[in-house]
Formats: sequence, structure tokens, C-alpha cells
Amino acid sequence: MTHLLEIENASRRFGGVLAVNDVTAHVDEGELVGLIGPNGAGKTTLFNLISGFTPLSAGTVRFAGTPINGLRTNRVARLGISRTFQNLRVFPNMSVFDNVSVGAVGTLPQGPLDALFGAAKRADAISERTWAALEAVGLTHVADELAANLPYGRRKYLEIARALAMQPRFLILDEPAAGLNDTETRELAAFIKRLHGQGLTIMLVEHDMNLVMSICQRVLVLATGRKIADGPPEVIRQDPAVLEAYLGVDA
Amino acid sequence: MDLFDPYYLQQLAIGLSLGMTYALMAIGFTLIFGVLNVVNFAHGEIYTLGAFAGLVLITAAAPPIAAVVFAALAIGAFAGFSLERLAFKPFRRFTDEASLKSRAMRESTLLSSLAVSIVVREALEIVFGSQMRSVPFEYLINTPVRVGPVILVTGDFIILGVAAAMLIGLQYLLTRTRIGLSIRAVSNNPLGAKYVGIDTDRTIIMTFVVGSMMGAAAGILVGLYYGAIFPAMGFVPGIKAFVAMVMGGLSSIPGAVICALILGISESMATTFVSSGWSDMVAYGFLILTLIFFPNGLFGAGRERV
Repeated sequence: MTHLLEIENASRRFGGVLAVNDVTAHVDEGELVGLIGPNGAGKTTLFNLISGFTPLSAGTVRFAGTPINGLRTNRVARLGISRTFQNLRVFPNMSVFDNVSVGAVGTLPQGPLDALFGAAKRADAISERTWAALEAVGLTHVADELAANLPYGRRKYLEIARALAMQPRFLILDEPAAGLNDTETRELAAFIKRLHGQGLTIMLVEHDMNLVMSICQRVLVLATGRKIADGPPEVIRQDPAVLEAYLGVDA
Repeated sequence: MDLFDPYYLQQLAIGLSLGMTYALMAIGFTLIFGVLNVVNFAHGEIYTLGAFAGLVLITAAAPPIAAVVFAALAIGAFAGFSLERLAFKPFRRFTDEASLKSRAMRESTLLSSLAVSIVVREALEIVFGSQMRSVPFEYLINTPVRVGPVILVTGDFIILGVAAAMLIGLQYLLTRTRIGLSIRAVSNNPLGAKYVGIDTDRTIIMTFVVGSMMGAAAGILVGLYYGAIFPAMGFVPGIKAFVAMVMGGLSSIPGAVICALILGISESMATTFVSSGWSDMVAYGFLILTLIFFPNGLFGAGRERV
């Protein structure tokens, strides 16, 4: 059986540091996978390898069977991998609606003249996707607001909406709960489960252990660049290697 | 002293046309400099290249004026593309977060574009000589037109029309088209744009091409308007466009146009009271006043960078 995302012996070296060291992992269509690990474990680097932002030093990453080694980030995005950021990357001086439509525009197929004239021709496709994504995160009522004027929590949802407008096959959420309070985190958990329920494959990188353990079907654990555990939350919770990595004790 | 004395109306008209020529330059300049957030000091030479492209074609083939403008646009597009590859692309080699945020990386294009501008200007002097070349009489756009008490020339109307068309076209481009959406996204957050599938490289090239076509068109129109084309002709309008852009808030194209008009009118009014050699002082004076009292520009605060 082929997996949606296959990471095979992936390594990334920065000078003398092996940030990601021979990691092999996969994500299947329709899964909700958590990725956890102590600070400096290589989670972000692994992300960057998947999104084509950082080239691999060794190994391969395949998405839906296509190797994405060496592809540029925007090409990878067009293949259907979409992500949000821990420190948000919304477009602050654009309206909420325009922010989200950039996601739709970036991933709609386009011919050479579409850049200039395609907008009018495809306005329907773009605005349809945009409204659907805004609807999904509940931001339709602020569509004309500047993104910079939204409160922090709303901007997180805006970024998710922008990712959804790309109609991704695989959505990576980078610490979506960072900076949210308990109520907001619970809302977020429900929202992620709802997205997953609609058939979207999601990878969640998170420091909030409760969030990961409560909604993910499977959890990958990285420590010092290596994968040290891979399994359902209840197994991970008991895993001596994971406990050691987090608590630094000999289990 | 009656302010509605025809003399002042005439000065006002002269100021407006002068302002329009600055505006013509400021539109493309602001698109690249302000909207894309990169420092480009070679815009003045793009303007000069546009003018020389037109002149060469006029001398060689004496085609209709539309063909002359078209040649300038083509050269502008090519020059914009080459300029981006030569002076800007090399500084985007590093795409990691630290370099993207680094002021030094961004401002290094100040020097690289300045270098390109010096090389281009000197090369033009070697090829064409540094003295003014006059445009053949039949191509001049300065047939007088009397409007009420003031006398304008045909070029005033042409430049007004072209500047308005550029302004409206650009507003359409930026707000209603995919490339416009991409340009704004890249100007807001290049990394974020990349991750949502925008080809940032292509977007930046497109911006340079569009902005430089406008710069080249401005060059040939102003050349035909004043009837003089020379290698250093882009320098003064470049400074004025820069001042207009800063006054307008760095990133507002309509703001830059309005400030270009204010500059033109003030300069022409100032020549009533001081000798014309001092009129450049007006621009610098405005620049200083703006920087002291309106650090965000007259139209800059809280607006989208369009």
C-alpha cells in the first residue's frame, strides 16, 4: 500500500548539526497525526523538508508517490501540501477576503495569460473557494476587515482559512494552540476534529500534549533529530523512550 | 495682487504639467520601490533608456508616434527584467528567515541598483555623447492649445491621459487580477506567499517589468514633450519621483501622484518669487518637512500598500 506522505531515511545537516537524522515515517490518506518532541528535536526542520523549504541532505520525501526532493516551496504547495505557521504569516495589509483568495489563486491552474486576465474569467472559482474557506472558520462577517485589525486568535483561523482555500490534500498545522487560552484551545481541538471528519489529512505539531493526545490517532515523537516513537497516543504516553526524552530520567 | 490674474493661472497650468511629468515617473517608481519594498535607484535610467529607444527608432525609421511609444515599452520591459536579474535576484539567494528580515540584505539593492544606474548612464554617454539630442520637430508634442486664459500644449493632455490611464490600470491590476493579488501578497509577506503556492520570483519579475514599462513610457513622453533627450535626463525626475513617493507615504501610488502634482505646482509657483535655479530647493524642502512632521507620509498611515 502506498502512503500519502512517505519520508524515507530523511536527514538534514546544518554544518555539524544533524537536525534531522535518518527519519523514516509516513502519513496515510485521512489520518490525523501528531508530531511532538522536546525543543530542538527537529520538528520544524522536518516540516521544512516536507514543504520543500529546506533541501534534504539525504533520503527522500514522496507525496502521493511523487518525490518532492528539490522542488521549490510554491511547487510543493501546488501539489497539495499546505501549512500554517507558528508565528503567523498572514498578509497584514490586505483584507481578510484577499488574504484567503491568495490561497485560491496560488493553487488554481493557470496559463500564461491568466496572470493578467484570468482573474475575471475565474473570479467565480476564486471567490467560491474563498467564501467556502471563510465559512469553514467562521470569518465571513469580517471579510472586508484588514487582517492586521483582527485579534490574534482570529488571525490563526484566518491562516487556516487561507490554507483551506488551497484545497490541500495534506494540511500541516504548526503549533496552532500556541498563545491560545484553554477555552480557545478546546474550540481549536473541536475545529481540527471537524476538518479531519471532512476527510482532510492533517499533521499537527504541538507543544500542548493534551491537545495532541486527545485528538490525534497516531503520534510521532522526535528527539535530537531521531524518531524515537510512533504509535497511538495511549502507547506513546507509556513509552519509556518518550518519557526519558521529555523528562530526562532513566526509565 | 490678484491671485486670479491670468499670470498665476498660467503658472498653475505649467506647474500641473510639470507635476504630471513627475507623476508619470513616480507611478512606476512607487510600484517597485514602495509596493515591492525594495530600493531601486535605477528607475531614472529606465526612463532614459525609454527615451533613447524612442529617439533611435525615430532617427532610423521615422515611424508613427505609436510605434515609438511601443518601442519604449518593449525596451522598458526588457530593461526591467534585466535589472531585476542583475541587481536584485542575487540578493535573494538566501531565503532563510534571518536574511529575509535583514535590513542589510534589502538595502544592499540600494547600492547594486545605483551601480547599474551609473553603468547605464555612462554607457549611454559613450554611445550617444553627453550633450542633449533634439527630437525632430514633427515628433514634438508641444503644439499650443488655448484653454480660456491659459495656454497649454498637446503634450499636457497626452501626459495627463497617460498618467490617468496608468493609475487606473495599475489600480485594476493590483486589486482585480491574480498578478496583483500575488504582488500584494509578496509585498506583505514573501515567505507566506511562497507557502500558499505563489511563485515569488515570477511575481517580482512581473512587478519590475510592469513598473519599468511605465518608467520607459514616461521617459519617451517627457522627451517628446521637452524635445531634449540626454543620458542624465533621468536623474532630476528620479529625485522628484522619490520625493513624491516619500511624501505620499512610500507605498501609496495615488498618494505619490498627488504629491507629484503638489511638487510641480509649488516649483512653478516658486519661480515667481525666487530665481528658477532655486526651484529644486522646493522639492528638498518638502522632503525635509515631510520627514519631520509626517514621518508616515501624507497618505501613508494605516493604508494598504497599493
